[in-house]
Amino acid sequence: MSEARIDGYARAMYEIAQAEGAVNEVEKELFTLARTIESNEQLRNTLTDESIPIDRRQSMVEQLIGAKASSITTHLVSFLLASGRGRELPAIAERLSKRASLESNREVAEVRSAVALTPEQQQRLSDALTQATGKQVNLKIVIDPLVLGGLVATVGDTVIDGTVRTRLDQLKSRL
Amino acid sequence: MSIFLSIFLASEAGGPPETHSWIWPERAEIVYGCTASIIIFAALIKFGGPLIKKSLSARTEKIQKDLDAGRSDKSSAQTEATAIRAALGDIDAERTRILAEADVQAASLLAEGRTRITQEMAALETKAEADIAAAAARSGDELRAEIARLAGLAAERVVSSSLDDTTKQTLIENFISNVGATR
Repeated sequence: MSEARIDGYARAMYEIAQAEGAVNEVEKELFTLARTIESNEQLRNTLTDESIPIDRRQSMVEQLIGAKASSITTHLVSFLLASGRGRELPAIAERLSKRASLESNREVAEVRSAVALTPEQQQRLSDALTQATGKQVNLKIVIDPLVLGGLVATVGDTVIDGTVRTRLDQLKSRL
Repeated sequence: MSIFLSIFLASEAGGPPETHSWIWPERAEIVYGCTASIIIFAALIKFGGPLIKKSLSARTEKIQKDLDAGRSDKSSAQTEATAIRAALGDIDAERTRILAEADVQAASLLAEGRTRITQEMAALETKAEADIAAAAARSGDELRAEIARLAGLAAERVVSSSLDDTTKQTLIENFISNVGATR
């Protein structure tokens, strides 16, 4: 799928979310869903399998996120699947997130952690990243058990890595 | 015949004729007979002699030709026999030469084969030594890599098992503190 098309879908979905007054909510839920799809190969294959009827894939997504996400997010994802763009959902979600951040004059800060962060930790981390990068950040937390411990934050081209995984990899390299 | 004719004429005349000898003919008869005989012999010598002479000459010539042909054949046979004897001698010499050449070639091939085998063995030994050295080095590298991998796995397991929630929260807090202090 071309960049222009991904951008077009992201822009359209952003406009809809903005019209519904749920940009932050939709952006956050789409981001979470995109990360879930990226990390789950079986789910990714199922949602992008053309041999499975679209309505069945839509019902699967509704069952998956229906209870956790807003109806507007669920409808947008169903629309993407019906359009045959399920494979591009992570890229569209990422583009939408960037657009939302730009609109609010913020930079997306993707943070990977082995465990969930409390709201208070997220706030302090957001403040710390803002202080470190000099930019207002839109924090996106991704739970990744492979990190083992610590955090890795990516803000634009800047990567701040404080994970146990990286330390172990360095130790293995030295060995 | 003249005698019978005389006898017949005498009988017809009424008695046998009388001659002057009971064995010799009359003189005229002798003369006529002799003359006739001489004429016949002369004619024979004159006309038959050249024919006989020619026939004899042709026969002599034919015999001479046969003799000459016999000599020629004998000479050819002798020449051929000489050539065969020479060829036989050549065959013996050629056989001796071929055998000698074969011996030389066999000796050369043997020597060449020994040299080549020696060189190949030396090359194989060198290659085998190099392979052994490479394998030893590779084994050492693989062993080191395996030890490093196992050490890494062990470290990962130890670290993973020691990472309880408190430690994870401590790491997160340290990260936030460090990031906040970096500006």
